[in-house]
Order: sequence, then structure tokens, then C-alpha cells
Amino acid sequence: MTEVEFLIWVRGPGFQIASVIFVAGLLLRLFEILMMGRKANLAEAKGSEMKSGLRTILSRSLHTSPTRSSAFSQTAGYIFHIGLFVTILLFAPHIMVFHDIFGVKWPSLSTTVIDAVTVVTIITMFAVLAHRLHNPVIRFLSKPHDYLAWFVTILPLITGYLAFHRVGMTAPSLIAIHILSVELLLVVFPFTKLTHAFTLFLSRWYNGAISGYRGVES
Amino acid sequence: MTQITNDIEFRRAIDGLDYARQRILAGRFVSNVLDLSTDGRIERVVKTTLDAGASADQLTEALKAARSATMDSYTRCGAEGDWKEQAGYFVARAATAAVTPESQSKGGGPAWQAAMSSRMARTSILIDNAEQATSHESEQQYRILAEFLNS
Amino acid sequence: MSASLEKGINALKQQIDAPIATFFSSCVHCGMCAEACLFYTETGDPKYTPINKVEPLRIIWKQEYTLLGRLGKLFGIGETVTDEMLTEWESLVYDSCTMCGRCSMICPVGNDIAYMVRKTREGMAAAGHAPDGLIGASKRAITIGSPMGVKLPALQAQIGHVEKDTGMKIPVDVEGAEYMCLLSSMEIMNFPEYIGAIAKIFDHAGVSWTISSEAFEATNSGIQIGVSEIAAELIQRVVDAAEKLKVKAVISPECGHAYMAIRWEGPNLIGRPYSFKVFHILEVLDQLREQGRLKTRGMEKARLTYHDPCQIARRGGVLEQPRNLINMIAENFVEMPDAGKMNWCCGAGGGVSTNERADEIRLKVFQRKKDQLDEVHAEGLVSACSNCRIYIEEGLEEYHMDIPVLSLTETLAEHLVDK
Repeated sequence: MTEVEFLIWVRGPGFQIASVIFVAGLLLRLFEILMMGRKANLAEAKGSEMKSGLRTILSRSLHTSPTRSSAFSQTAGYIFHIGLFVTILLFAPHIMVFHDIFGVKWPSLSTTVIDAVTVVTIITMFAVLAHRLHNPVIRFLSKPHDYLAWFVTILPLITGYLAFHRVGMTAPSLIAIHILSVELLLVVFPFTKLTHAFTLFLSRWYNGAISGYRGVES
Repeated sequence: MTQITNDIEFRRAIDGLDYARQRILAGRFVSNVLDLSTDGRIERVVKTTLDAGASADQLTEALKAARSATMDSYTRCGAEGDWKEQAGYFVARAATAAVTPESQSKGGGPAWQAAMSSRMARTSILIDNAEQATSHESEQQYRILAEFLNS
Repeated sequence: MSASLEKGINALKQQIDAPIATFFSSCVHCGMCAEACLFYTETGDPKYTPINKVEPLRIIWKQEYTLLGRLGKLFGIGETVTDEMLTEWESLVYDSCTMCGRCSMICPVGNDIAYMVRKTREGMAAAGHAPDGLIGASKRAITIGSPMGVKLPALQAQIGHVEKDTGMKIPVDVEGAEYMCLLSSMEIMNFPEYIGAIAKIFDHAGVSWTISSEAFEATNSGIQIGVSEIAAELIQRVVDAAEKLKVKAVISPECGHAYMAIRWEGPNLIGRPYSFKVFHILEVLDQLREQGRLKTRGMEKARLTYHDPCQIARRGGVLEQPRNLINMIAENFVEMPDAGKMNWCCGAGGGVSTNERADEIRLKVFQRKKDQLDEVHAEGLVSACSNCRIYIEEGLEEYHMDIPVLSLTETLAEHLVDK
């Protein structure tokens, strides 16, 4: 297979397969969760579940950190999450892909900015890995799948950076590898903790609902 | 000769005493139930309590011992209760109340607190013996107080 | 697989609901829950990380309710729950967790880890992996009616004593009274003056109340050990008595988990809403205060601070009331750091104090409460849970601190104007 054929496959069938697995996997996880159900609460409520649940979705992002270690986790977490958001959604070539699929467009940031954000995000993700390996609690909790999730998340950032700067290989190969790394992320995503990107809205809601029912803001 | 016949008179008479005298009176209440405790520390605490000339240091030591004795004798949450041992807990509490300094004393003062806890010690023994009779500890305490006031 | 392990695994399976599944799907192993848990902060041992305590539940969730997990089970690969694991996890779940819920407030993805521990205990207990102390307490609760074996004659003797002291009649089995008061065995045995205090307050405020001779126990050992059938049976007794006496409300005494049991878990355990209301004693006292029915005199002069019992405050919603009441009778009330819904657990709730094996770690982690008290330079501590009270007293003694620990209800009663 030539590198152009490879690129065409990756952009076509490869992407389709990965997207189907991604969407099906997420829907499956959602189904697996919701089919468990939740018993109605028969105790007399002190507060509203819905309001409290919605509030907690937002307020959990605003927590202050109890210690230096979690201050690092929070700060680094903000940086790389925002970095991912910016690099994925505000980069012109990516916006074109979304336009092709969903038919919507939105403004992009300059490539200089995206480039800088990518570098910062990559560095932060290495720092996060170092923290995971160094911090006794996080190291204790970590399993192979935590490192897998890290790997499939950072890979598109690195391959994207290399592709943009045409480092080491020809453009078609670099772009193909980058797209392939995204497909890897999509395929792995629904079966790892990366599902938190979607399920955290529900878990924060449940937390707020349970607590709000008892009259406590959480 | 002063006579005390009910708790209203009892409380009023106690309230009229200064803190140092209340301490000694408290010691007498605890002495009356001393046999319900198996903890040797209480006897020593009571000795200090009854000593009008006890120094601040001695009282502090006594408080420490009484608190320790209390902590060692309460019934653990969820454990099978033994009312005989609970009697010892209340005696220790009475002794603690007797030597608690004025700044930390709970409502009623040392003599009243010691009297109440001593009565509970007696009640505990009754429960242990599965007796239906009510305790006469309060009547004995009225007598102790009357003797104290007349001395 | 042994029969008991099978029971345990089935119990864990039954515990999984949509929230549990969501929580496990969302956990990113960030470790922040450890920072919220006093069993971690005071020991530095990562195994006390809250989310680690519920590993058995997570494995069952994965294995039974996720695609990869089910495939793994089919092909005999992947993690499983074994007897050895449950043995190892027993002390994590029962000795080093009070279900205080601080972790639930901190988790960035919103996991209610205390809720998860509560459910994990159901599996543990079903598999026979619960501490002896709790097993004994639960048995006594069912057969005798009190986890500490307090029988009716003992309560009657204490009542007789209190009546003599206060000169008041303690109403027992009075039909149509407004409130039915529960008592914890801890109070009946260790702090019977609580009974006198509520008698005094209710007489002062003109409140009609009663104790039921058939269901006076507030402590719910079923919740602590994690056996819902026991918990439900204990609740049902209270419900039957309350309905028999046709009271408007049941009052939970100064005990933390008792409130959680009767107020929040109760109706769900017995499968139907109550026909009466349930309040913590502090809620009732604050209502009386609001209605102007409490007249007090004098103020406590010492520098007092308040310990929020976890199940009443953070997990129960009774946060403002104690402060309103303390401000009536204390002129020098100061809040400790982290006061309110983020206050630190005393370390003794949720069955930990019943468990002798946990004594050492319980006393070790008390350092956190000591640090709070040191920072606020308290001269006295007020609280509203008799378990917190006695175990804080024990902790203070262990750490050579000389601060009196007061019951809010009893202290309030002492300041009432005589009618």
C-alpha cells in the first residue's frame, strides 16, 4: 500500500470503523448505566434533586484543593483539559473535519496560538504522568489502563504536532499516522476511564441530587 | 439543725456553698458510693477531694486520674452493657465532677453533678440486680448534706 | 466458590444501581479523595484512599455490568473477588471508614464514595466479613431491642431516676402525643441526663411528647454493619410504635447514624413513606426557638466551639440549627476551621467505635480533630451526638487535652428559665 492509499484508507473506512465503535461503545456504556436504574427516594425531601444536581455539575469544577498534591492535580488537569479542548475544537483543519461530518463551522484560533497550546498541553501531560508515577496515592491506585488512557490521549497531540511541523516523514504519512492515533483513541475511549468525559455530568448530578435531597449543597 | 427533705432544698443549699466547700461535699457523696467502683484510683481521688488543704497540683492530678477512670469504664458503643460496670463508670464521673475546676464545671457545680452521678451509680446496681425498687441514694445524700451544713 | 463468598458476591451485585455504575465509569484515579479522608491524612497510607475501599464493588460491577468485564468473565480472565480479598478489605471498609462523606464532597467527578462504601458493606456482611463487635451488636438489637442489651426495665430504672431528679414525669406510651422520642443505648447507659434534659425543655416549651416502651432504641446496627434486612426490621419497630401511638413526629436523639437511619434510609428500607415526620432533636429545638418558646438566661462564658456530627450535618442537612441554639447560650462561640458541612469526622461513627480492632487507628486519626481544636484554642467543645461526644472525650484524654465536651441539648436545658 502506498502512503497515499494508506491515508485514504485511514480517512475513509478507518475513520468510519473507529467512529462507529466510539459511538456504539458510548451508547452501550450509557445503556449499561441507565439499565441499572435508581430506586425512588421515599424519605421526605429537604431540597430539590434537579436543582442541586445541576448546580453540582458546575460547582465541582470550582473546588479549591485541600493540599499541594491535589493543587497540582487540579491545575495540571485544568491546563491539559483546556489544551485538549482548544487543540481539538479551535484548530482550522479540525473545524473543517467537523464541518464535513456535522455541517457546522465556527471560528478558529491562529495556528501560532494552537501550536503554543499544543506544546504546553504535551508538557503538562508529561508532568501529569510524572505525578502519577511519583505520588504515593495516585501510584497506588494506578492500573495499566490508566497508563493506556494517558498514552492514547497524548499520542494525537504529539502526532498532530509532528504532522503540522512536517517532522521526520512526508506530509501524507504524518497526517495518516495522526488520524490513525485519533482512531486509536476513539476505539479505546468507551472501554476506559475516558468515558468520564461524558459520564461525569451524570455522576456529578447524582451526587448533587443525593445531597440536595437531604438539604446539603455539594 | 438543718433538715433537707427534697431536691429543691437540696439544690438551693448546695448553691449557697462556695466552690471549695462544694468540692468537699462532692467528695462525701462519692464516698457513699465508693464500694460500687472497683477502680483503686477513685479512692485516691476521693481522698484528695475531701482534703480541704489540697493544692492545685494535687487537684489537677486527681482530675487526670478521675478522667482516666471514667474513660476506662464507660460501655463501648454497641458492646453488651454490664450495669455493674456502669456503676463504676458513674462513680468515676462523680469523682471527676468533684475535682473539676470552677472554670470547666458543668451546670449545678461539683456537688450537684457528683450527687447526680452517684445516684446513677446506685441505680445501675439496681438495674444489674433486676430490682424494681427505686434507689434511696437521694435520701442518704440529703442526710450527708445536712450533716455537712451543721458541721 | 464457598457458599458465603457466593452470598457476598450476589449481595454486591444487587447493590449496583445507576449511580454506582456511573461513579465507577467516571473515576479517573486522581487520588483527591484521599486528601479528604482523615484515615489517609493522619496515617499517610494510600490503602485508606476512599475509592480503594470499594474495590470489591468495582470488580463486581465491571464483571457483571460492562461488556469487557462480561467477556472477561466468559473467558475466565480479568479480576475476580475472592475470599482473600474480602478478608483483606474487611478492615478497610469497617475499621477505617465511618461513611462520613467528606470524600463524596471532594471527588472532582462527583462520586458519592460514602454511598459506595455503604453498599460495599452489604456484600461484606453477607459474605460473613464483618467485625465481631458489629455482629454482636446487630444480634442484640434484633433479639433484645438494643445493641447494648438495654432492656425495658433498665430504661424504666433510668427513667425513674430522672423523674426523681427533675421532679417531672417522663411520659411513656402516651397516645396522641405530638412527638415520640427515641433514645440511643449510649445515652441510656452513659448519658442518661439527656432524658432529663429533653423532659425539662419540653415541659418548659409546652410540648407533648412520649417514649414508647416497645420501640425506644434509636441506634440502627443494621446500617452500621450493612445488612438491610436488620436495618429494616429495626426501623419497622419504630414505625409500628409511632403509628400505634399516633404521634405527629418521631425525634431522633443526639446520635449521628441514628438520624441517617430513621430520617433518610428508613422509608426506603421498609418500602413506604412514613405517615409521620422525623426530626433530629436539634431541629425540634430550633423550631421551638423560632417560635419563641424557649426562654433562656445566662451565657456560657468559656470559648466554645462546635463539632458537626457527620451524619447530622454533611449527610443529614442539620447545619444552621445547632449554631442558632448555641448562640442563645454562649457569648464566646467560635467556629473551628472547616466548620459546617466540611467538618472532620471524630473517627468513631458508622460502627468504628463498636469495633475493638479499630481502636488503635481510631485514636491515631483523632489527631485531625485535635489539630482543629488546637487551631481554634477552644476551651470547650459542644456537639450533638453521644458517640462523637464520648469518643472525642477519649481522644482528648489520649492526647492530654483538657477540654470539656458538652451536649448541646443538655447545656441548653441548663440555661432555661424556670417556669
